[in-house]
Amino acid sequence: MKRRYLATLALVFVMAGAAFATYEPGSNMTVGFIFVGPIGDYGWTYAQNEGRLAVEALPWADTVYVESVAEGQEGPVIDDLIATYGCDVVFTTSFGFMDGTVDAAARHPEVIFGHASGFKRLPNLMTYMGDFYQVYYLNGIVAGALTETDKVAYVGAFPIPEVKRHLNAYAMGVKAANPDAEVHVRWIYAWFDPAAAAEATEALIAEGCDVFAFTEDSPTVVQIAAENELLSFGHYGSQMYQFAPDYVVSGQAIDWGSIYVDFLQKVYAGEYTAENIQNVDYWWLMTQGAVYPEAAPGVVLNPLYIDALKAYMVEDPVYGTISAYDLHNLRYAQFADPGVTFDPFQGPIYDRNGNLVVPEGMWLSVDSLITLEWAFENVVGPWPGEPE
Amino acid sequence: MSWESWIVSTLSRTLAYGTPLLLATLGEIYAERSGVLNLGVEGMMIVGALTGFAVTSGTGNPWLGILLAAVIAGGFSLIHAFASITLRANQVVSGLALTMLGLGLSGVVGRAYEGRPLLHALDEISIPWLEKIPVLGSGIFQDQSPLVYVAIALAVLLWVILFKTRIGISIRAVGEDPATADSMGINVARVRYLCVVVGGMLAGVAGAYLSVAYRPSWTDGMTAGMGWIVIALTIFAFWNPLLGLFGAYFFAALFHLSYRLQAWLPPELLKAMPYILAIVVLIVVSRGTLQKRMGAPSALTLPYTREEG
Repeated sequence: MKRRYLATLALVFVMAGAAFATYEPGSNMTVGFIFVGPIGDYGWTYAQNEGRLAVEALPWADTVYVESVAEGQEGPVIDDLIATYGCDVVFTTSFGFMDGTVDAAARHPEVIFGHASGFKRLPNLMTYMGDFYQVYYLNGIVAGALTETDKVAYVGAFPIPEVKRHLNAYAMGVKAANPDAEVHVRWIYAWFDPAAAAEATEALIAEGCDVFAFTEDSPTVVQIAAENELLSFGHYGSQMYQFAPDYVVSGQAIDWGSIYVDFLQKVYAGEYTAENIQNVDYWWLMTQGAVYPEAAPGVVLNPLYIDALKAYMVEDPVYGTISAYDLHNLRYAQFADPGVTFDPFQGPIYDRNGNLVVPEGMWLSVDSLITLEWAFENVVGPWPGEPE
Repeated sequence: MSWESWIVSTLSRTLAYGTPLLLATLGEIYAERSGVLNLGVEGMMIVGALTGFAVTSGTGNPWLGILLAAVIAGGFSLIHAFASITLRANQVVSGLALTMLGLGLSGVVGRAYEGRPLLHALDEISIPWLEKIPVLGSGIFQDQSPLVYVAIALAVLLWVILFKTRIGISIRAVGEDPATADSMGINVARVRYLCVVVGGMLAGVAGAYLSVAYRPSWTDGMTAGMGWIVIALTIFAFWNPLLGLFGAYFFAALFHLSYRLQAWLPPELLKAMPYILAIVVLIVVSRGTLQKRMGAPSALTLPYTREEG
């Protein structure tokens, strides 16, 4: 009786020890992913899954994942993943998972956590983001050049700094190509809601808009725009192109794999551990190759529209009279250059209430970019949370 | 923006978005009129959506997709019918189980179809002379899915059946007082089975409309809670198919306008508006006296057992 009791106790200790073992650099790792939507959404989660597949391709990493985890429900799912698969690293891939991830990181100090698009970090919790604002600026140049009604549209998800930042970058690109154009906004208060996106798009079409960009994880806006023979930019680009090959001009695409592989390689080498990633914050842009404009795989601009872009001339203060096509490619090169020489958010910038939000000669820091609330001059429509 | 174009676009979108609401509401009205509460509408709609998409994808024929969606969703609702009529289980629980089953099953089976564009969606039509009517013509008769008109015709037809025919009397009798109906020789179980299956079939068609016509594609969870709105609309319509028509279009108009009006009113308020109104109506309607007078089937949710002896 006593011997069995001691044996059980020993077993418990061994198991507990195994459960609390931290990752050994240089050994095989199990990486867990928590997705907020279905992989087939052809939007955010689809792109995240492509990143996971890049990790799966590494010889020393295995991946596991859970789809469609509602924001707020991630705690038990994380615990279950760790307990069942012994994950060494867990990535939670939505802003709304932030507090749940922080709590889980405290519960599992030996596991390394990564939270996409968040800003709270711990010794074992880092944050990472591939941000689209440069890509949206490029899309905006194209939109401003191709609009015939001078009304460009954006269907926004939630009026949070991330979406506002993208919208403003888009609006700035539009202004650079077409100072007369307006950017009309509608909010659908969801990351994924095809019916809402459909009705919002119809509302914008009724307003007279003819070029559409959006933040919503389905090709709805592309489809509705195409049904009305109007142009659009694919969100997470190339997958949406197939829904309307004649009307998707360009789009935003992301390679989460580049971030995941970079980070995990450092974990594998022992450089990042569960104790020293408090200040690790990936803010990757076009320079690092994490994001890029794309209409279809390997195609930046839809060939059907290149002639129109070459014919449309823009007056640029620095470069003089230049075609929209050339301006687009010029800015692309500037963004991709490691010594980034141009940023849309460089001053002077005025918001639509006339406030000077970025003084001349200054650029917005990352902190300002992720807390941005104002609306750019040519934005028309509702803007919850707008500062006076 | 001229007032004519406001009317045209609002009419057009109301019809487009209101049609699945109307179809599913008509079905639920029949189910509830016979005394069976079916909370599984969301599950049946999404099963219909997947079936419609899958069959249309495979065969290239959207009408076949819609037909099979009706059949499959109707078959699916047999589970609820069996549980609540034959087994006399709690109808609320059985219906909710159906919703969860439908959502989960369609998510799993639908993975192969996620994100695929539909090449043979149901094309829109315009009615030749009626579309020339100024303002109303372009709003109602131009570039609409044929299912819009099918739904309106069905609403009228189902109203006639329910209130002007013997079959309708049987259905309503079974819903009000099954014991008396039984003693008059009406087969209570058969009527209830029929109504639940009809409800399921119509919900299936509503779902298929979403995936084959309204926004031709399939995504996990694409009905996004429409089934719950349908259940509220059934009450809003006082279990009357013609009022159901007005209720569905009223809600659809609000839903569309909530995006048009964002330029003038706070978007958060507008987004909540259709649902707030639905709640207000439900509160007003479910005050006891109103419910009795306006015709909630008295035997709703109550299983019927034939007393022996």
